[in-house]
Amino acid sequence: MHDSSAKASFSVKCIYNIIDLAISFLLNQTFDEFRVLNLKHVKGQVQQKRQPKKFEILPPRTDQMPVDQDWGSVWPGPRSFHPATVPLPVRQGYVKKGAPPDKYGNAELMKIPNFLHLTPPVIKRQCEALKKFCTPWPKALDTDEKILTPLQLNARAKDKFLRLVGDRYNEETDTVTIVTDRCPLKKQNYDYAMYLITALYHESWNVEPWEETKSEADMEYYDWNKNVSKASVEAIFGKSSEDIPNINVYSDAVSSLMNEGESEYTVSRYGHAVRLLLNLPTS
Amino acid sequence: MMSLLKQILKIPKNLTSNFLKPYSVQNLENVSESDIDKLYKVLELELRGNDSAVLRSFSKFAVTTGNHLNIECKSWSLKKPMHERYTVLKSVHVHKKHRVQYEIRTYFTFVQYKHLTGSTVDTLLEYIERNLPEGVSLKATKVELQNIPEHLTPPK
Repeated sequence: MHDSSAKASFSVKCIYNIIDLAISFLLNQTFDEFRVLNLKHVKGQVQQKRQPKKFEILPPRTDQMPVDQDWGSVWPGPRSFHPATVPLPVRQGYVKKGAPPDKYGNAELMKIPNFLHLTPPVIKRQCEALKKFCTPWPKALDTDEKILTPLQLNARAKDKFLRLVGDRYNEETDTVTIVTDRCPLKKQNYDYAMYLITALYHESWNVEPWEETKSEADMEYYDWNKNVSKASVEAIFGKSSEDIPNINVYSDAVSSLMNEGESEYTVSRYGHAVRLLLNLPTS
Repeated sequence: MMSLLKQILKIPKNLTSNFLKPYSVQNLENVSESDIDKLYKVLELELRGNDSAVLRSFSKFAVTTGNHLNIECKSWSLKKPMHERYTVLKSVHVHKKHRVQYEIRTYFTFVQYKHLTGSTVDTLLEYIERNLPEGVSLKATKVELQNIPEHLTPPK
């Protein structure tokens, strides 16, 4: 009897334990300790705030770059600076006390345009690829003289041309520069310039009837052969000008004196030429 | 193979060019004016920028390109930049005595190529223009060479 009652109480206890376990399993609560009154979190346990996935920060790519890699493949095009991809210990910036800041988190390095995509081997490779689209310069036109051929003008036509052209002529380089910009299209400006050159050229070759009446007084330069100086020298010596010795020096001196004006050089040259001509002692 | 062929046919080597044209020229009459390669005496690039270091790097790039393509080239830069200064009122309203000054510095660099053909000029300019960095402006001037036109002959 005692055994059975013990067994019964034991079994009841067992049942209570099972129910306890079931409840605690369902509600995820254990009733081992005194249950504190909990009015806040009734509807089940609070869910943890979603933490963002934490990725491990890998070491920079520069650690795994071999020294003899093809840099043109690593940095193929223009790109703003990326410190973990460039294996150079670059520093930029100014700090009052301290070294210039390093490349990590350096805005100045990212702002300026870099030429990492145009290293010398890359330029060479790209030029080799471009060579098939280029043509060589013809060997017959090496120097500047061979390139430029002058306009065909005789002395009178050249003088007229230069007068017409005026300020646009450069004596040092012997070139005439005509600038046309009055038309809206480039082709129109070019055609107008060609028209101007053609008109100037043909006009300079045109001989007007009144040009025949040019006299010695109208001449703009002194020509010794057509002047009184030659006649007087011939009268003095009684021979034609070619037979007189030192006549060329005298004619050049007189021409330069009249054309270039009186200066110490021209006057002294004239004096020297006269002494030579008349066999006088030269000082 | 071509040189062998030329030897057999006894064609002098300098008569035909070694460079391939994109199309083959059959007769001289069929060649229009746009197909013939122009000749340029000088191609000058004027570079303007706010940073002299960038201009220096770019001119170095331009000169090495010219050297690889076998073109005579040189570059030079002006030491002093051009300063564009503005003196404006500091405050939105009144306070005439208080101003603020701003300045824009423009640095100049020049690159010059001599003796180029038309296709070379087009290729070179395209390559250089594509690799222009930001903040740099380019002005290209070409000096073309032409034959003296036939109508400019002295009258008979």
